[in-house]
Amino acid sequence: MTDDNDQKKQKGGMHRRDFLKLGAGVAGGLVFSGGLGRLAQAADYAPIGNYPAGIKGSSVFMGIAVPRTGPYSAQGEDEIKGYLLAIDHINKGTSLARAYSPHSKKGVLGKMIEYGIADNQTKPNVAVQAISKFISDNKAMMVTGSVSSAVAIAAGKLCDRERTIYLPAITGSNATTGKDCQRYSFRACHFAYTSAKALAPVIKNALGAGKKVAYLTPDYTYGHSVYNSMKQFTEAQGWTTVNNQLPPLGTSDFSTYLLNIANSGADVLVNICFGRDAVISTKQAKQFGLLDKMTLVMPYMAPFFADEVGADLLQGVYGTTEFWWTLAEKNPMAKEFVEDFEKRNGRKPGWSAHIAFLQTMLWARGVESAGTFHPPTVVAEYEKGNTIATDIGDVHWRAEDHQLVRPVFVIRGKKPSDMRNKEDFYDIVEGVPGKDVMPPIEQFGCKLGPAA
Amino acid sequence: MILRRLARYSGGRPWVAELITLVVLLLCPVVLPLFGVTADIASRILIWGLFGLGFDILFGYTGLLSFGQAAFFGTGGFASAFLLTQTSLQNHVFLSLIIGMIAAMVAGVVVGFFTLRRSGIYFAMITLAFAEMFHFLELSPLSQWTGGENGLTGVPMPIVGIDSLHIQISSGWSLYGYIAAFFFVGYVVAHRIVLSPFGQVLTALRDNSPRALATGHSVRKYKLAAFVIAAGYGGIAGGLLGVLQSYMPPDAVAFHTSGQLVMQSIIGGAGTLFGPLVGAALWLGLQNYLQDVPVIASAWMLILGIVFVVLITAFRQGILGALKQLFEKAAPKAPVHETELSAEITRRHHVTGVPDEHPNQDEIPDNYLRTNAPAGGLIIVPKGESADGAALSCRNLTKHYGGIYANEGIDMSIPEGQLRGIIGPNGAGKSTFFKMLAGEVAPTEGQVFLHGADVTGLGVTAVSQLGMSKSYQINELFSKLTVSQNLAIPVLARLRGEFRPDMLKSLHKVPGLHGQIEATLELVNLTQRADVPVTELAYGEKRRLEIGLALANAPNVLLLDEPLAGMSPRERADTVQLLKQIRAGRTLVVVEHDMDAMFELAEYISVLQEGRLLAEGTPEEIKNDQRVQDAYLGGMEEV
Amino acid sequence: MSMPSLPLFLSQLFNGLATGLLLSLISAGLTIIYGTLGVLNLAHGALFMVGAYAGFMALQWTGSFVIAIFGGMVGALVVGLIMERVIVRYYYQRPPEDQILVTFGIGIVITELVRLGFGGIAKPVPVPSWGQGITRIGSLIYPTYRIEMMAIVAVALVGLYVLLYRTRIGMIVRAGIEDSLMVNMLGINVYRVFLLVFGVGAMTAGFAGILNAPILAVTPDMGESFLVMSFVVIVIGGVGSFPGAIVGGIIAGEIISLTSMFSSAYSHVMLFAIMAVLLAVRPQGLFGIEGRE
Repeated sequence: MTDDNDQKKQKGGMHRRDFLKLGAGVAGGLVFSGGLGRLAQAADYAPIGNYPAGIKGSSVFMGIAVPRTGPYSAQGEDEIKGYLLAIDHINKGTSLARAYSPHSKKGVLGKMIEYGIADNQTKPNVAVQAISKFISDNKAMMVTGSVSSAVAIAAGKLCDRERTIYLPAITGSNATTGKDCQRYSFRACHFAYTSAKALAPVIKNALGAGKKVAYLTPDYTYGHSVYNSMKQFTEAQGWTTVNNQLPPLGTSDFSTYLLNIANSGADVLVNICFGRDAVISTKQAKQFGLLDKMTLVMPYMAPFFADEVGADLLQGVYGTTEFWWTLAEKNPMAKEFVEDFEKRNGRKPGWSAHIAFLQTMLWARGVESAGTFHPPTVVAEYEKGNTIATDIGDVHWRAEDHQLVRPVFVIRGKKPSDMRNKEDFYDIVEGVPGKDVMPPIEQFGCKLGPAA
Repeated sequence: MILRRLARYSGGRPWVAELITLVVLLLCPVVLPLFGVTADIASRILIWGLFGLGFDILFGYTGLLSFGQAAFFGTGGFASAFLLTQTSLQNHVFLSLIIGMIAAMVAGVVVGFFTLRRSGIYFAMITLAFAEMFHFLELSPLSQWTGGENGLTGVPMPIVGIDSLHIQISSGWSLYGYIAAFFFVGYVVAHRIVLSPFGQVLTALRDNSPRALATGHSVRKYKLAAFVIAAGYGGIAGGLLGVLQSYMPPDAVAFHTSGQLVMQSIIGGAGTLFGPLVGAALWLGLQNYLQDVPVIASAWMLILGIVFVVLITAFRQGILGALKQLFEKAAPKAPVHETELSAEITRRHHVTGVPDEHPNQDEIPDNYLRTNAPAGGLIIVPKGESADGAALSCRNLTKHYGGIYANEGIDMSIPEGQLRGIIGPNGAGKSTFFKMLAGEVAPTEGQVFLHGADVTGLGVTAVSQLGMSKSYQINELFSKLTVSQNLAIPVLARLRGEFRPDMLKSLHKVPGLHGQIEATLELVNLTQRADVPVTELAYGEKRRLEIGLALANAPNVLLLDEPLAGMSPRERADTVQLLKQIRAGRTLVVVEHDMDAMFELAEYISVLQEGRLLAEGTPEEIKNDQRVQDAYLGGMEEV
Repeated sequence: MSMPSLPLFLSQLFNGLATGLLLSLISAGLTIIYGTLGVLNLAHGALFMVGAYAGFMALQWTGSFVIAIFGGMVGALVVGLIMERVIVRYYYQRPPEDQILVTFGIGIVITELVRLGFGGIAKPVPVPSWGQGITRIGSLIYPTYRIEMMAIVAVALVGLYVLLYRTRIGMIVRAGIEDSLMVNMLGINVYRVFLLVFGVGAMTAGFAGILNAPILAVTPDMGESFLVMSFVVIVIGGVGSFPGAIVGGIIAGEIISLTSMFSSAYSHVMLFAIMAVLLAVRPQGLFGIEGRE
């Protein structure tokens, strides 16, 4: 070979030798991929995130960061139970697991799921710290868990930077799939906009036209999110907003705000507080006699709200939820989930457990369908938006903002005398289909970053 | 063995500790991964350590316990994160960090103004309340700039370099290096601050704040300076947290951040500069480790709380403090508290610092009192001229509390160079009168003049700077320091004024400091005890030091409140001699109960009774004055 | 923003009084402990919470809210006494910073123990039957239970006042607040007095906790916000001063209520701002003694 040829080589032309090498590689890869699937995957893609380091062995690591201390510890513990249930089913390859992911045998792509649980204390900083550790120390291929949007958004950004899939559990702010959307995050639960859109027509039907609405809005992004969405839909159907009180997060005494609302002449009280704030404000609203003259609406109910507040206060209260255990009466997959959960844990699952379960199942399915753990490929698989049968009906992922298109359940509190057992708090008034409630894509300004 | 030698060698050489720190920081990326410590954890520990450097200066050295440092951590962090994410300063990480630090220091000035008006527990509570206010501001009204409860995301990684040579720092050990650089500089600065005259004054503040004030230091300004320094460290640490995580979290301003800082610093050991770093390592280590252990995972906070309580109760000085004590106990005959100052004197002047050869004070032979040592060597503040030649005078000096008159209408004039005695039966109002003269108590009516200038109500610090000092009846020493360290404090006030932020200067480089201290030591005969901690002194020695403290201030008017109190006859005789010696060039005013000593010493005596001036005269005249005898004896003939 | 109507103003004024009285009670306990023992009890919020949980358990066992109130008091008293005997009393001679630190640590330990024992879900403590419903006073609508609570708290404050100012032991306590060394030298066992004061302070916190339980959610963290608020109250009223705690509490309650009429978001900030102003102008608080630390 002359020097000229060599130089041509260096400029990018493919030499015959190189071509042969490539061919040999491909052939070898094909040979191996038949029998030993895992090794083939490792050879297919360039390393990114924790791939392929995280799947070198026979297991794959899933990082779970939830609040185990602090005000949302109850929801956090429930999420853990949901995750553990899902992991157990997937690892054993049960019929329920196959219902979600038909091609799976045991585990995910043959690898058993190992997990780690960290307490994020509902503090974004602690969550970020814990997740960093899962990613760098444990080589997690998937990180999940949240009870607040602040945590979900912070975790999502970190995981996006580290090219690791993050699946939040509870996050109600519009921004999570809006201006704070991430290429590596996927939200499966309902949120402010979808809840409000589902709820508004139902309460208009139930309560009538021309109602006056007062809001109790916790003064942070999530609260403002829900307020804006509810205002949008109630005013569109002819209701008037007469008052909006903004208690700071963590208020214990709502008397001043409730008094202002009491004097506002409203017919409907929309309580946007979440978790403990919701419990306290509702109890106090009852004490101030507000619930006797106004209907209480909770556009985004936290799990266990009913248990903490008591059936007495719940009657006639309208709200939305991600899942309610009576769905087991209609859907066999839901039945299997609820029964198994009750057997293991002695009580029915809250929606915190359900969303944890659902996210995990959907992930297993996504990876199996993608045929690889390679992060950008899994992301692409999600974005294909195929219809998936689940215990809440058919769902699919929306590629543009990574929001799951899924039903929102509008519920109404039962009279205590109608309760069949001590957890039978609600009637499901309507399961509003996902396609009817999704926001237009431009509304919240989602711009996904690159996958690689 | 090696450690002991190293400690002694490094006594006067701060750069030794700094060099060791640098080496350790450089070795970490090599050594730590062997123990499974990630770069992320190491970086976090350094950030808390940096935060703690400032806090240790505030709490460990100055004694101000603040539960509100999160306010500055957050201010600095959000300021720099805001600049990096919302303005065009994206590529200027270093600049933004510095601006963040400055913002935090400004916040420190404002908050310090409000909170430092109180001290002790009150101060702790108020800092807590202010931090909560900052937290609230971050969450709600300022949420447009701070991201509210979501925080600020997308903080970029720094790019380091000059001109065409650029290194893009990425997460992992290169980021650790960036943060470690900040920590190292922060440590060197903090180390120098602690070793500077400024730092010495801070230590004195913690030990005995009123005495430091009386010696001529503006306590308020020093405290504010320490507070602002701590705020600055907090600000830069907060900024670095944002860079580390590419995210500035809202809970940086929450109470638990302040609480964690305090706990870590105590656990690690306050007053050691490295204590917060050690505490952070323990905290983060435990947090990580315990969460992986299945049974106790959700109880990790409980375990940390119990560890904290146990440590405070049993090992108050923290891990490093306990190690230091252990180390010092094991070192035989090494002088206790080998501090920079005494080590330097030891080194330069070949004073061995070995304890006194004559532990029993009564055995000290007469020639130990250097009767021919000049009362100078010690500077004396030049005085102003007063019209009537009076060094110290008062007019109509009155003090009443409610309806009770402690002093009423006292006029007195003490000429330059006189040794004036003030006597009177119990309850005559001598101490109150003396306190008014010294500036400790403001009179209800009347005025005090020092060399003709009206100093009424100026306070002890101003008065001290003008040249009047007082020695106290009950010893007001700096009990945690050695003898020479005690004497350094008033000398520093004399040489540097009431406040000088000379934080990076070396204590040894203060001109005249050593000379003044040695001259004072000689005068009060404590040269052999220069490096002994005050707690080990005999009572007589403490009294001499008490007088020495007043002398070291270079006063031209010296007030002595019962200088002979509690002394043995031998000690009294020696002290009387000392007082005679120090008269040269000074005016002395002495309150005493010991009549013999008083009559021997004083040129002129004023007698107080029931708050008023009863009589004045020479000792002879007073001895024979009937009114005086009646006052003391209630009318009986005997003297 | 429009001017609030008179009925709204009156109801907020009344509400401020209710909030304020509760704050006064909590702060009174904190301030007498500080004034007498010189210990700032950072575990005070935790004791408040213990009272609520102890009352909850008593309610579960007996179904009577009145017994629950006593249960809450006794529970907090027991925990407080244990705290004092086992740890705090070794701290009287130690610098004040150490005392704050150890009570801070103990507060964390108590909170975490309760969380481990009871879990994080809020425990329901319903309004007692004699407190159900609302009362009308003119145009003012107010929950009956809150009015009853105001009355109970007022009685408790009077009781504390009588204890402090009209009994022999109270006189000793007040003397102890002035000068505990002197009291000791007079032959009175100051440490027994300290124990009593600590117990009374803890009991007060627990009493407030169970009284408040029907209004709030009973969770392990419920005491935290009250702790900071009571600091602000005693800074405003003057540390160590019992009348200061009462007046400071009422003022704080009114500030929060009245500010919320205009801007609910700023109601708490207003309180801090006023505290800051007071600190600048009169650092010892309204009733505090100058120079007292």
